[in-house]
Amino acid sequence: MSKLLIVIPAHNEEENIVRVVRKLTTQYPQYDYVVVNDGSRDKTAALCRANGFRLIDLPINLGLAGAFQTGLRYAAENGYDCAMQLDADGQHKPEYIEPMLAALEEGADIVIGSRFLTVKKPKTLRMLGSYIISWSIRLTTGRAICDPTSGMRMFNRAMVEEFAQNLNYGPEPDTISYLIKNGAVVKEVQVEMGERIAGRSYLNLWNSIQYMVKMSISILLIQWFRKRDTETPYSERKA
Amino acid sequence: MLDQPIIRACLIIGSLITAFIILRRVRQAKVQIEDTIFWLAASAVLLILAIFPGIAFWASRLLGFVSPINFVYIVIIFLLIVKQFFMSIRLSQLDSKVRILTQRIALNEEKAERDKLDL
Repeated sequence: MSKLLIVIPAHNEEENIVRVVRKLTTQYPQYDYVVVNDGSRDKTAALCRANGFRLIDLPINLGLAGAFQTGLRYAAENGYDCAMQLDADGQHKPEYIEPMLAALEEGADIVIGSRFLTVKKPKTLRMLGSYIISWSIRLTTGRAICDPTSGMRMFNRAMVEEFAQNLNYGPEPDTISYLIKNGAVVKEVQVEMGERIAGRSYLNLWNSIQYMVKMSISILLIQWFRKRDTETPYSERKA
Repeated sequence: MLDQPIIRACLIIGSLITAFIILRRVRQAKVQIEDTIFWLAASAVLLILAIFPGIAFWASRLLGFVSPINFVYIVIIFLLIVKQFFMSIRLSQLDSKVRILTQRIALNEEKAERDKLDL
Protein backbone atom coordinates (compact mmCIF):
# COMPACT_ATOMS: atom_id res chain seq x y z
CA MET A 1 0.00 0.00 0.00
CA SER A 2 1.23 3.50 -0.81
CA LYS A 3 2.39 5.65 2.03
CA LEU A 4 -0.24 8.37 2.37
CA LEU A 5 -0.02 11.65 4.23
CA ILE A 6 -3.27 13.35 5.23
CA VAL A 7 -2.81 17.11 5.39
CA ILE A 8 -5.29 18.87 7.66
CA PRO A 9 -5.13 22.65 7.19
CA ALA A 10 -6.68 24.34 10.22
CA HIS A 11 -7.53 28.01 10.68
CA ASN A 12 -9.41 28.87 13.88
CA GLU A 13 -10.85 25.36 14.24
CA GLU A 14 -10.63 24.92 18.03
CA GLU A 15 -14.18 23.56 18.13
CA ASN A 16 -13.56 20.84 15.54
CA ILE A 17 -9.90 19.91 15.36
CA VAL A 18 -9.75 17.47 18.29
CA ARG A 19 -12.87 15.57 17.21
CA VAL A 20 -11.69 15.33 13.59
CA VAL A 21 -8.13 14.16 14.38
CA ARG A 22 -9.31 11.79 17.14
CA LYS A 23 -11.68 10.09 14.69
CA LEU A 24 -8.81 9.68 12.25
CA THR A 25 -6.30 8.31 14.78
CA THR A 26 -8.71 5.89 16.47
CA GLN A 27 -10.58 4.55 13.42
CA TYR A 28 -7.89 4.87 10.75
CA PRO A 29 -4.52 4.46 12.49
CA GLN A 30 -2.96 3.08 9.27
CA TYR A 31 -2.71 6.59 7.76
CA ASP A 32 -0.22 9.30 8.70
CA TYR A 33 -1.53 12.81 9.13
CA VAL A 34 -0.22 16.28 9.88
CA VAL A 35 -2.19 19.28 11.10
CA VAL A 36 -1.05 22.57 9.55
CA ASN A 37 -2.16 25.38 11.83
CA ASP A 38 -2.50 28.42 9.58
CA GLY A 39 -1.73 31.16 12.10
CA SER A 40 -4.94 30.64 14.06
CA ARG A 41 -5.85 33.23 16.68
CA ASP A 42 -7.70 30.71 18.83
CA LYS A 43 -6.55 27.62 20.73
CA THR A 44 -6.14 25.34 17.69
CA ALA A 45 -2.35 24.96 18.09
CA ALA A 46 -2.52 24.63 21.89
CA LEU A 47 -5.15 21.88 21.62
CA CYS A 48 -3.04 19.98 19.08
CA ARG A 49 0.01 20.15 21.35
CA ALA A 50 -1.99 19.15 24.44
CA ASN A 51 -3.34 16.09 22.59
CA GLY A 52 0.03 15.17 21.08
CA PHE A 53 -1.11 15.57 17.47
CA ARG A 54 1.52 15.91 14.78
CA LEU A 55 1.51 19.64 14.10
CA ILE A 56 3.15 22.19 11.80
CA ASP A 57 2.47 25.55 13.40
CA LEU A 58 2.71 28.45 10.93
CA PRO A 59 3.55 31.66 12.79
CA ILE A 60 1.46 33.80 10.42
CA ASN A 61 -1.66 33.25 8.33
CA LEU A 62 -0.78 32.11 4.80
CA GLY A 63 -4.25 31.23 3.57
CA LEU A 64 -5.48 27.78 2.54
CA ALA A 65 -3.17 27.49 -0.47
CA GLY A 66 -0.08 28.33 1.56
CA ALA A 67 -1.04 26.09 4.46
CA PHE A 68 -1.79 23.11 2.23
CA GLN A 69 1.44 23.65 0.30
CA THR A 70 3.32 23.48 3.61
CA GLY A 71 1.79 20.04 4.18
CA LEU A 72 2.80 18.95 0.67
CA ARG A 73 6.38 20.09 1.25
CA TYR A 74 6.37 18.02 4.42
CA ALA A 75 5.11 15.03 2.40
CA ALA A 76 7.75 15.54 -0.29
CA GLU A 77 10.59 15.85 2.20
CA ASN A 78 9.53 12.85 4.26
CA GLY A 79 9.19 10.34 1.45
CA TYR A 80 5.42 9.97 1.15
CA ASP A 81 4.00 8.41 -2.03
CA CYS A 82 0.87 10.50 -2.01
CA ALA A 83 -0.92 13.17 -0.01
CA MET A 84 -4.47 14.40 0.41
CA GLN A 85 -6.33 17.32 1.90
CA LEU A 86 -8.80 16.69 4.71
CA ASP A 87 -10.68 19.70 6.07
CA ALA A 88 -10.46 20.34 9.79
CA ASP A 89 -14.17 21.13 10.09
CA GLY A 90 -15.16 17.47 9.73
CA GLN A 91 -16.93 17.83 6.36
CA HIS A 92 -14.61 15.30 4.75
CA LYS A 93 -15.29 11.79 5.97
CA PRO A 94 -12.23 9.56 6.42
CA GLU A 95 -14.15 6.42 5.38
CA TYR A 96 -13.71 7.57 1.77
CA ILE A 97 -9.92 7.70 1.96
CA GLU A 98 -9.60 4.02 1.08
CA PRO A 99 -11.59 4.11 -2.20
CA MET A 100 -9.79 7.31 -3.19
CA LEU A 101 -6.41 5.71 -2.52
CA ALA A 102 -7.46 2.67 -4.56
CA ALA A 103 -8.40 4.94 -7.48
CA LEU A 104 -5.05 6.73 -7.22
CA GLU A 105 -3.15 3.44 -7.26
CA GLU A 106 -5.04 2.32 -10.36
CA GLY A 107 -3.24 5.11 -12.14
CA ALA A 108 -4.36 8.67 -11.57
CA ASP A 109 -2.42 11.80 -10.79
CA ILE A 110 -5.25 13.46 -8.88
CA VAL A 111 -8.33 11.88 -7.30
CA ILE A 112 -11.19 14.18 -6.30
CA GLY A 113 -13.66 13.13 -3.62
CA SER A 114 -16.77 14.15 -5.52
CA ARG A 115 -20.23 14.74 -4.08
CA PHE A 116 -21.93 14.71 -7.48
CA LEU A 117 -20.52 11.82 -9.47
CA THR A 118 -23.51 9.52 -9.08
CA VAL A 119 -25.71 11.96 -7.15
CA LYS A 120 -27.45 14.76 -9.06
CA LYS A 121 -26.09 18.21 -8.27
CA PRO A 122 -28.90 20.27 -6.70
CA LYS A 123 -29.95 23.35 -8.69
CA THR A 124 -29.60 25.84 -5.85
CA LEU A 125 -27.98 29.26 -5.64
CA ARG A 126 -25.21 27.73 -3.53
CA MET A 127 -24.38 25.31 -6.32
CA LEU A 128 -24.50 27.97 -9.05
CA GLY A 129 -20.78 28.58 -8.59
CA SER A 130 -20.05 24.89 -8.87
CA TYR A 131 -22.05 24.71 -12.11
CA ILE A 132 -20.18 27.70 -13.58
CA ILE A 133 -16.78 26.22 -12.71
CA SER A 134 -17.74 22.75 -14.03
CA TRP A 135 -18.92 24.38 -17.23
CA SER A 136 -15.71 26.44 -17.57
CA ILE A 137 -13.56 23.33 -17.14
CA ARG A 138 -15.73 21.45 -19.63
CA LEU A 139 -15.37 24.28 -22.13
CA THR A 140 -11.61 24.63 -21.82
CA THR A 141 -10.52 21.00 -21.35
CA GLY A 142 -13.40 18.94 -22.73
CA ARG A 143 -13.44 16.93 -19.52
CA ALA A 144 -16.36 16.69 -17.10
CA ILE A 145 -15.45 17.36 -13.49
CA CYS A 146 -18.63 16.90 -11.48
CA ASP A 147 -17.46 18.49 -8.23
CA PRO A 148 -14.60 20.89 -8.97
CA THR A 149 -14.89 22.82 -5.69
CA SER A 150 -14.55 19.75 -3.47
CA GLY A 151 -11.52 20.29 -1.24
CA MET A 152 -11.08 16.54 -0.70
CA ARG A 153 -8.34 15.82 -3.22
CA MET A 154 -5.57 13.24 -3.30
CA PHE A 155 -2.30 13.68 -5.20
CA ASN A 156 0.36 11.20 -6.29
CA ARG A 157 4.09 11.71 -5.69
CA ALA A 158 4.75 13.59 -8.93
CA MET A 159 1.87 15.99 -8.21
CA VAL A 160 2.97 16.43 -4.59
CA GLU A 161 6.40 17.56 -5.77
CA GLU A 162 4.93 19.81 -8.45
CA PHE A 163 2.46 21.43 -6.04
CA ALA A 164 5.06 21.73 -3.32
CA GLN A 165 7.52 23.90 -5.17
CA ASN A 166 5.63 25.97 -7.72
CA LEU A 167 3.81 29.29 -7.80
CA ASN A 168 0.14 29.34 -8.80
CA TYR A 169 -0.52 25.78 -7.65
CA GLY A 170 -3.26 26.47 -5.13
CA PRO A 171 -5.54 23.52 -4.34
CA GLU A 172 -8.31 25.07 -6.41
CA PRO A 173 -10.31 24.23 -9.57
CA ASP A 174 -8.17 26.45 -11.81
CA THR A 175 -5.06 24.40 -11.04
CA ILE A 176 -7.03 21.21 -11.76
CA SER A 177 -8.18 22.60 -15.10
CA TYR A 178 -4.63 23.66 -16.00
CA LEU A 179 -3.24 20.23 -15.13
CA ILE A 180 -5.94 18.40 -17.12
CA LYS A 181 -5.05 20.58 -20.09
CA ASN A 182 -1.42 19.56 -19.59
CA GLY A 183 -2.13 15.85 -19.59
CA ALA A 184 -2.65 14.98 -15.92
CA VAL A 185 -5.05 12.10 -15.21
CA VAL A 186 -7.83 13.31 -12.90
CA LYS A 187 -10.38 10.86 -11.51
CA GLU A 188 -13.40 11.36 -9.31
CA VAL A 189 -14.71 9.05 -6.58
CA GLN A 190 -18.21 9.44 -5.15
CA VAL A 191 -18.14 10.59 -1.52
CA GLU A 192 -20.60 11.96 0.94
CA MET A 193 -19.80 15.07 2.91
CA GLY A 194 -21.08 16.16 6.29
CA GLU A 195 -22.21 19.61 7.28
CA ARG A 196 -19.88 21.77 9.34
CA ILE A 197 -20.74 20.95 12.98
CA ALA A 198 -19.21 23.93 14.76
CA GLY A 199 -17.30 27.08 13.97
CA ARG A 200 -17.74 29.44 11.06
CA SER A 201 -17.02 29.02 7.37
CA TYR A 202 -15.10 31.81 5.69
CA LEU A 203 -17.51 31.61 2.74
CA ASN A 204 -20.00 34.46 2.89
CA LEU A 205 -21.77 35.88 -0.13
CA TRP A 206 -19.14 38.50 -0.95
CA ASN A 207 -16.23 36.05 -0.61
CA SER A 208 -18.09 33.52 -2.75
CA ILE A 209 -18.62 36.06 -5.52
CA GLN A 210 -14.96 37.11 -5.41
CA TYR A 211 -13.91 33.46 -5.52
CA MET A 212 -16.18 32.76 -8.48
CA VAL A 213 -14.96 35.74 -10.47
CA LYS A 214 -11.35 34.85 -9.79
CA MET A 215 -11.85 31.17 -10.70
CA SER A 216 -13.80 31.94 -13.88
CA ILE A 217 -11.27 34.46 -15.20
CA SER A 218 -8.45 32.15 -14.23
CA ILE A 219 -9.92 29.02 -15.88
CA LEU A 220 -11.36 30.67 -18.98
CA LEU A 221 -8.57 33.12 -19.73
CA ILE A 222 -5.34 32.93 -17.77
CA GLN A 223 -4.68 29.18 -17.75
CA TRP A 224 -4.18 29.22 -21.53
CA PHE A 225 -1.01 31.26 -21.12
CA ARG A 226 0.70 29.16 -18.46
CA LYS A 227 3.64 26.97 -19.29
CA ARG A 228 4.14 23.79 -17.28
CA ASP A 229 7.63 23.13 -16.00
CA THR A 230 8.17 19.42 -15.38
CA GLU A 231 11.93 19.57 -15.94
CA THR A 232 13.10 21.21 -12.72
CA PRO A 233 13.55 18.47 -10.13
CA TYR A 234 12.24 18.86 -6.60
CA SER A 235 14.89 20.75 -4.66
CA GLU A 236 15.66 19.09 -1.36
CA ARG A 237 15.99 21.52 1.50
CA LYS A 238 19.35 21.41 3.22
CA ALA A 239 18.94 20.54 6.88
CA MET B 1 -9.66 64.97 -28.69
CA LEU B 2 -10.87 61.40 -28.35
CA ASP B 3 -12.33 61.64 -31.86
CA GLN B 4 -8.77 61.71 -33.21
CA PRO B 5 -7.66 58.25 -34.27
CA ILE B 6 -4.12 58.68 -32.94
CA ILE B 7 -5.10 58.84 -29.27
CA ARG B 8 -7.44 55.88 -29.67
CA ALA B 9 -4.66 53.92 -31.32
CA CYS B 10 -2.36 54.79 -28.40
CA LEU B 11 -4.97 53.58 -25.91
CA ILE B 12 -5.44 50.32 -27.82
CA ILE B 13 -1.69 49.69 -28.11
CA GLY B 14 -1.14 50.59 -24.45
CA SER B 15 -3.80 48.23 -23.17
CA LEU B 16 -2.66 45.38 -25.42
CA ILE B 17 0.96 45.82 -24.27
CA THR B 18 -0.17 45.78 -20.63
CA ALA B 19 -2.12 42.56 -21.15
CA PHE B 20 0.75 40.99 -23.07
CA ILE B 21 3.35 41.83 -20.41
CA ILE B 22 1.23 40.54 -17.51
CA LEU B 23 0.34 37.31 -19.35
CA ARG B 24 4.01 36.74 -20.13
CA ARG B 25 4.76 37.04 -16.41
CA VAL B 26 2.08 34.38 -15.79
CA ARG B 27 3.72 32.13 -18.34
CA GLN B 28 7.08 32.50 -16.63
CA ALA B 29 5.40 31.75 -13.26
CA LYS B 30 6.60 35.09 -11.92
CA VAL B 31 3.27 36.52 -10.76
CA GLN B 32 0.38 35.13 -8.76
CA ILE B 33 -2.87 34.81 -10.69
CA GLU B 34 -4.83 36.92 -8.18
CA ASP B 35 -2.51 39.83 -8.93
CA THR B 36 -3.03 39.66 -12.69
CA ILE B 37 -6.80 40.11 -12.60
CA PHE B 38 -6.63 43.85 -11.84
CA TRP B 39 -4.28 44.54 -14.76
CA LEU B 40 -6.27 42.44 -17.22
CA ALA B 41 -9.49 44.18 -16.13
CA ALA B 42 -7.86 47.61 -16.41
CA SER B 43 -6.55 46.96 -19.89
CA ALA B 44 -9.97 45.61 -20.91
CA VAL B 45 -11.61 48.84 -19.69
CA LEU B 46 -9.16 51.02 -21.67
CA LEU B 47 -9.57 48.82 -24.73
CA ILE B 48 -13.37 49.15 -24.60
CA LEU B 49 -13.14 52.94 -24.16
CA ALA B 50 -10.82 53.18 -27.16
CA ILE B 51 -12.86 50.95 -29.44
CA PHE B 52 -16.23 52.44 -28.46
CA PRO B 53 -15.56 56.17 -27.90
CA GLY B 54 -19.33 56.68 -27.78
CA ILE B 55 -19.20 55.56 -24.14
CA ALA B 56 -16.84 58.41 -23.26
CA PHE B 57 -18.92 60.94 -25.22
CA TRP B 58 -22.09 59.81 -23.48
CA ALA B 59 -20.49 59.78 -20.00
CA SER B 60 -18.86 63.18 -20.38
CA ARG B 61 -22.18 64.73 -21.49
CA LEU B 62 -23.83 63.10 -18.48
CA LEU B 63 -21.16 64.28 -16.00
CA GLY B 64 -20.64 67.67 -17.66
CA PHE B 65 -17.03 67.29 -18.81
CA VAL B 66 -15.83 69.65 -21.53
CA SER B 67 -14.04 66.91 -23.46
CA PRO B 68 -14.64 63.17 -23.62
CA ILE B 69 -10.91 62.54 -23.15
CA ASN B 70 -11.31 63.93 -19.62
CA PHE B 71 -13.60 61.01 -18.86
CA VAL B 72 -10.87 58.62 -19.99
CA TYR B 73 -8.39 60.41 -17.70
CA ILE B 74 -10.83 60.18 -14.78
CA VAL B 75 -11.25 56.45 -15.35
CA ILE B 76 -7.46 55.94 -15.39
CA ILE B 77 -6.97 58.08 -12.25
CA PHE B 78 -9.75 56.18 -10.48
CA LEU B 79 -8.24 52.80 -11.35
CA LEU B 80 -4.82 53.93 -10.13
CA ILE B 81 -6.16 55.29 -6.83
CA VAL B 82 -8.08 52.08 -6.15
CA LYS B 83 -4.96 50.04 -6.91
CA GLN B 84 -2.86 52.32 -4.69
CA PHE B 85 -5.33 51.90 -1.85
CA PHE B 86 -5.31 48.11 -1.95
CA MET B 87 -1.55 48.00 -2.39
CA SER B 88 -1.14 50.18 0.66
CA ILE B 89 -3.27 47.80 2.74
CA ARG B 90 -1.37 44.81 1.42
CA LEU B 91 1.99 46.46 2.11
CA SER B 92 1.05 47.14 5.68
CA GLN B 93 -0.06 43.52 6.14
CA LEU B 94 3.23 42.33 4.65
CA ASP B 95 5.09 44.69 6.97
CA SER B 96 3.47 43.20 10.03
CA LYS B 97 4.06 39.65 8.77
CA VAL B 98 7.77 40.35 8.27
CA ARG B 99 7.95 41.81 11.76
CA ILE B 100 6.27 38.73 13.29
CA LEU B 101 8.53 36.35 11.35
CA THR B 102 11.71 38.25 12.26
CA GLN B 103 10.79 38.26 15.92
CA ARG B 104 9.93 34.56 15.78
CA ILE B 105 13.30 33.66 14.23
CA ALA B 106 15.24 35.79 16.71
CA LEU B 107 13.35 34.36 19.69
CA ASN B 108 13.92 30.80 18.43
CA GLU B 109 17.63 31.46 18.01
CA GLU B 110 17.90 33.00 21.45
CA LYS B 111 16.19 29.92 22.88
CA ALA B 112 18.51 27.57 20.96
CA GLU B 113 21.59 29.44 22.21
CA ARG B 114 20.32 29.46 25.80
CA ASP B 115 19.66 25.70 25.65
CA LYS B 116 23.19 25.13 24.33
CA LEU B 117 24.72 27.17 27.19
CA ASP B 118 22.69 25.24 29.76
CA LEU B 119 24.04 21.90 28.55
